[in-house]
Amino acid sequence: MSERAGVGAGGDARRTAGTREVFADGGRTGADLAAVDWAATPLGPPDRWPQSLRTAVSIMLSSRFPMWMAWGPDLTFFCNAAYRRDTLGLKYPWALGRPAREVWAEIWPDIGPRIERVLGTGEATWDDALLLFLERSGYPEETYHTFSYSPLRDDDAQVVGMLCVVSEDTDRVVGERRMATLRDLGSDPTVVRTEEETLAFACRQLARNARDLPFTLTYLFAPEEGARLAGSTGLPPGHPAAPAVLPEGATGLLWPAAAAGSGESVCVPLTDDRFGTLPAGDWPEPPTEALVVPLQQQGGEPYGFLVAALNRYRPLDDAYRGFIGLTATHLASGIGSARSYRAQQRRAEELAELDRAKTTFFSNISHEFRTPLTLMTGPAQELLTRLADAEPSVRQDLEAIHRNGLRLGKLVNTLLDFSRIEAGRMQARYEPVDLAAVTAELASVFRSAVDRAGLAFHVDCAPLPQPVHIDRGMWEKVVLNLLSNALKFTFDGTVTVTVRERDDAAEVLVADTGTGVPAAEMPRLFERFHRISGSRARSNEGSGIGLALVRELVLLHGGTITADSEEGKGTCFTVRLPFGTAHLPADAVVAAGPHVPAVTAAPYVLEALRWLPENDTAAQQAGVGTAPAAPPAPQTAGKPAHVLIADDNTDMREYLTRLLTQAGYRVSAVADGDQALRAVRGAPPDLIVSDVMMPRVDGLSLLNALRTDSRTASLPVLLLSARAGQEAAIEGLRAGADDYLVKPFAAAELLARVRANVELARLRGHHVRWRTALVDSLQEAFFVCDGNGAVIEINAAFSDILGYGPEGLPYRPVHPWWPDAAADPDGHRAVADALTAVLRERHGIRTVPVVHRDGRRRWIAVSFTRTQDPDTGRRVIVGTFRDVTTEHYAVQRESALAALGTRLSRVTSLTDTLAAALDQLRELWRADSVMAVVLGSGDRPSVTATTPADWQELPEPRRRAITELHRRPLLTSASDATGGGILLEHPEGPMALWVETGRHRPFGDEDQLLLAVLAGQLAQALARAHQFDQQRVTALALQRAILGPSELPGGFAVRYEPATPPLEVGGDWYDTIALPDGRIGIVVGDCVGRGLEAAAVMGQLRSACRALFLQDTGPGRTLAALDHFATGVAAAVCTTVFCGVLDPGSGVLTYASAGHPPGILAGPDGATKLLEEGRSLPLGVRPGRVRPEATTVLPVRSTLLLYTDGLVERRRQALSTGIRRACDALVAGGDVPLQELAAHVTDRLAPQDGFEDDVALLLYRYPAPLTLSFPARPGQLAPVRHALRTWLENAGLAPKAAMDVLMAAGEACANAVEHGHRDAPGASIGLRAEASAHRVRLTVADSGRWKEPQPEANPLRGRGISLMRKLMDHVTIEPAPAGTTVDMHTRIR
Amino acid sequence: MPTALTITPQRRRDGTVLLTVAGEIDLSNSAELARTLDRFSGGVVIDLTAVDYLDSAGLNVLFAHAERLELIAPPLLQPILTVSGLADLSTVHAPPGDGPAA
Repeated sequence: MSERAGVGAGGDARRTAGTREVFADGGRTGADLAAVDWAATPLGPPDRWPQSLRTAVSIMLSSRFPMWMAWGPDLTFFCNAAYRRDTLGLKYPWALGRPAREVWAEIWPDIGPRIERVLGTGEATWDDALLLFLERSGYPEETYHTFSYSPLRDDDAQVVGMLCVVSEDTDRVVGERRMATLRDLGSDPTVVRTEEETLAFACRQLARNARDLPFTLTYLFAPEEGARLAGSTGLPPGHPAAPAVLPEGATGLLWPAAAAGSGESVCVPLTDDRFGTLPAGDWPEPPTEALVVPLQQQGGEPYGFLVAALNRYRPLDDAYRGFIGLTATHLASGIGSARSYRAQQRRAEELAELDRAKTTFFSNISHEFRTPLTLMTGPAQELLTRLADAEPSVRQDLEAIHRNGLRLGKLVNTLLDFSRIEAGRMQARYEPVDLAAVTAELASVFRSAVDRAGLAFHVDCAPLPQPVHIDRGMWEKVVLNLLSNALKFTFDGTVTVTVRERDDAAEVLVADTGTGVPAAEMPRLFERFHRISGSRARSNEGSGIGLALVRELVLLHGGTITADSEEGKGTCFTVRLPFGTAHLPADAVVAAGPHVPAVTAAPYVLEALRWLPENDTAAQQAGVGTAPAAPPAPQTAGKPAHVLIADDNTDMREYLTRLLTQAGYRVSAVADGDQALRAVRGAPPDLIVSDVMMPRVDGLSLLNALRTDSRTASLPVLLLSARAGQEAAIEGLRAGADDYLVKPFAAAELLARVRANVELARLRGHHVRWRTALVDSLQEAFFVCDGNGAVIEINAAFSDILGYGPEGLPYRPVHPWWPDAAADPDGHRAVADALTAVLRERHGIRTVPVVHRDGRRRWIAVSFTRTQDPDTGRRVIVGTFRDVTTEHYAVQRESALAALGTRLSRVTSLTDTLAAALDQLRELWRADSVMAVVLGSGDRPSVTATTPADWQELPEPRRRAITELHRRPLLTSASDATGGGILLEHPEGPMALWVETGRHRPFGDEDQLLLAVLAGQLAQALARAHQFDQQRVTALALQRAILGPSELPGGFAVRYEPATPPLEVGGDWYDTIALPDGRIGIVVGDCVGRGLEAAAVMGQLRSACRALFLQDTGPGRTLAALDHFATGVAAAVCTTVFCGVLDPGSGVLTYASAGHPPGILAGPDGATKLLEEGRSLPLGVRPGRVRPEATTVLPVRSTLLLYTDGLVERRRQALSTGIRRACDALVAGGDVPLQELAAHVTDRLAPQDGFEDDVALLLYRYPAPLTLSFPARPGQLAPVRHALRTWLENAGLAPKAAMDVLMAAGEACANAVEHGHRDAPGASIGLRAEASAHRVRLTVADSGRWKEPQPEANPLRGRGISLMRKLMDHVTIEPAPAGTTVDMHTRIR
Repeated sequence: MPTALTITPQRRRDGTVLLTVAGEIDLSNSAELARTLDRFSGGVVIDLTAVDYLDSAGLNVLFAHAERLELIAPPLLQPILTVSGLADLSTVHAPPGDGPAA
């Protein structure tokens, strides 16, 4: 300093001393000021400066608030350390002593006029968050400043200079702007939208912040193409800087697509000429750089990248990068959501399509096989009978043909079974049986095959205590399939069949010691068409549907099947069937029928035998190979009846001829309809058997020709067709056929039909037969109702669709297929309404829900017509209906999706979203309960359910089913007898969703598909809600960051409580300002309105208050100055503010309130006082009026509460009531520690559903706690005691009480010094004393370890602790590795 | 630096020693009191009227000589003497004109 002072002032000692004196308070800045060559400025050397200038400089230098000043004709520049630090940047120290116009040349057009006004009028100016482009960092920088210029007068009271008090708001303004953009990006309420919509929305938000984002481009990677422009802001369409496509692999691209594609962020200088003329956005000059950030995809390559042009007036610092990074993350997650939603949609459509294709396939495939099957098995069987004595090789071949025919037939039948189960048309008859006996008998069929395979066969079927209800046909398939499976995979060892009772159910076990199933294949064991690969088996044949069928059949029985298997050790299948009938549809349960031997066993055993060596005599043993014994052919006038066969297939023609000839008919055969007509005219037969499809004249034309000729009109005709289509049958019957037979047909069936037709032709009138056949062949269900609604006639399709056959006629209302009035009241009502319509209206069409006999829900479209019975003249209703379940569910899926979407769009948080979805699903399925289980990372799965439940409380089978779900792939649904479930993504881990429909409501394929589609949508919504939750947390954190001081002076506590609706930024604030003289400024204010505008005004008012307080204007004048500010800012008008200045030593509080609710002062005696004086109007209402001040003295150990109206205002309640409640809460909290007091007050006053408005709260307890830290030396004890003694006096303790506390504290401190610091003398000890209404609390903490008091061993050492316990009410000593803490408190008496 | 403490020994007419103590007695200076007491044998009267503070370190010193001590204690110190049990071992007087000792 002296060196530079010497250069400046010429070394005059006196002068240097004077210079030092002026700048003495300035520290480093003072030294630099002293070094200026003042003699060269218009002000001259400092020792000749007028007193007023010296004072102004001294005040400025001693202030810790940023200030600069200008003085004299050139407005010579001075500033203090704070200004240098915050604002001046590189201009320091160059600026000192220079003309202000030169220092701030770049902003002189902005500030010059203001300075002139101050100098001209002597009035102060005020500017809030003014944008100034400072060149202090080497480039023009966007900065914001809140400042006031006030005049400086010389000794003659002439204005000769100005003082600027300024605070820089750049970080706040820029931060708020970025926060607004991020919040807007997250404000999209739509649950699901397309990628284009998502990007369009995001671009609209980005375009609103042209300051931080002068322009943006969003490129998405497209396969084979490169990067495609998907959105832009700030650039006109077709601008050269925004090429539509950046081709993949091309070099010299305008934007670094390859780098972004590999996940890098790149800063690109915008210097290339190809960028053309770039728009400047909100700035004077266009951007010079852009940041290219990848749009990261979780666990994948980036979706694309975001080009964000950078604000050239701000540095690209961490905050700026972070902002652009968050923006890109948001875009990426939006794109991710949209894409995965699209994939979901596509998947659902594909599933539905697959479902349709599968059904079609199943119903078609069987028929395609029928003709060849008939022609294989029929003749083969016949030959086996005829060639019983032929040589073995011939028989072997024939057996092979027959066996394979049966095998194919079995496959076709199994497929048909599936088809029926899927269509809900499996007509089961559950009868009570002795399951052990039935199963043992089935097993015995396999014994020979097992023996032959060299395996042991253990059948252990002990009688069960009660009968089990099964459908015999289905049960045979279950057992035979399992046995066949066991045999196929077992090469040595044992096959065991066990029947037993376990846990009140029947269990059937089929175990083998075979090759077993690899663990990886276990989950797919029961999957349809899935074959276990790589396993050693007796045969490679197999379609992979046997076990799938078994599972379906067991499920139809209300049972379960599980498999345990170990590779190389064997497999055990366990089937569990409940006793009783509660699990079965009541009307499918029948009484025990006559015992019928197994009819389906032959194909299974034959197939199994075929896998074994030496199968020569197998066929006979399986009881196969005899043709049915046909009844003798009817005779016509003593001669065999004559049958004419018309078929173009030679094989078929010959087969039929042979069959009928053997049965005793006289047969002639022709190859087409034309020949048939000629033959008929020649010699009319008793019956014509004709194929439908024939060249030239086909079966129908033949029929037509016959019927139009009176000679042949009544000739019975039996049509044969390979086509399953019932239209063909109807067509044929309409044309007048007498009967219709679909291939393949058993020989016996054909013979029976031929015989029946020949006989019937003679017995019955033609039209009756025709009508019955017609009705029965309709594919649509047909019914006739009488005038009371009783169904009196139905056809086969009716029985198929509803499961109720003609044996139950008449069906009177309420019909058994009506939905249950209790379980499904809507469905019940719909059917009742439809019946009313049927009875009342002439004709109509209705779509109603019905319940099939097996319990499945179906939808039918009924059309009906009222007519008269031609015979009786009674009124009847004739109707048909069609199964529209599939269409109905497709429509239902769409509307369920829409309903769920609507429901989810109303909630935002993750928890609410899940709850709403579960509720919606429960309504949709009328489910008993719906639950969601997230396994997550914890040890216990977390359960959310419509009926609250804990994981441990769930029934074991349900827990198992849900655990099972967690092993399945995502979004593949599963079901069991009482409900269905699916696994989907939850932000906290995979979540199993389970819909419990109950035993009587099977969860069908339609339900599974619907659940899959809804689960996809829910997963989207959950991801979105999660994102929303996170954004809310971020937004609140940001708001708290711009609120209140981070470090409070002692004795204060504050709290900000946001309003309940999410993301609402409010206008409440609080502030404390440490004034230079040790006093503390206190502000609590409330701006009108909510949202960003209110927050911005709040920020400005807060800055203004701070600056005004630091000028020591006092509360009243501060409010008056704020009035002027408020008149200029519309949104600031009507703000209410409480301003106070507190002397923490004396407790004197001077305050003024601009329309703010009164502060509350609670004394230690429980008395409360409202600070109602010093009141005036809210800000900006009548500016210019005087703002009165009031003074109050805080009683010792009292608590002051200042707050905003949200704390006390309630709907339909007087404000005074709320204030009284706040008083009560404050008094009740008289002894709550300060740091918990704010929470105590808000918790007591918070309404049930949270605060409707935001709440700011500021508390002060007088006196403030005493906090001391001192080195652990005995000599420190006395000064500490003195400080504590003074504090205790201030806290109003009587001398004697104070002495007790003092001694206890002294002991604790002495202990800390003596014991705690044996090894580290001089380490720090902390003492804190806090007074509340009735208590004093002391805490002494050290970093050492105490000795436990052991009076016997050392009576002297223990004395201090026992003294503490005697002197204070409560003492705890907590030793910890980091140090010992003594906590003591006592009641003040 | 130990806390300020002055100890003025006097021999009374009856031959007993009177120690007039002024200041605060704590961990930092209790050894000084102990040294002074060790210098005198027989009964000692300690006048604590001018003592503002006495902690357990000081009490420990007094306990070591309790049986031969007679204490003159101001009201503010009397509770600590009672609470610590020293009053049971030593004779405690109030200063003249301060009423009876507790």
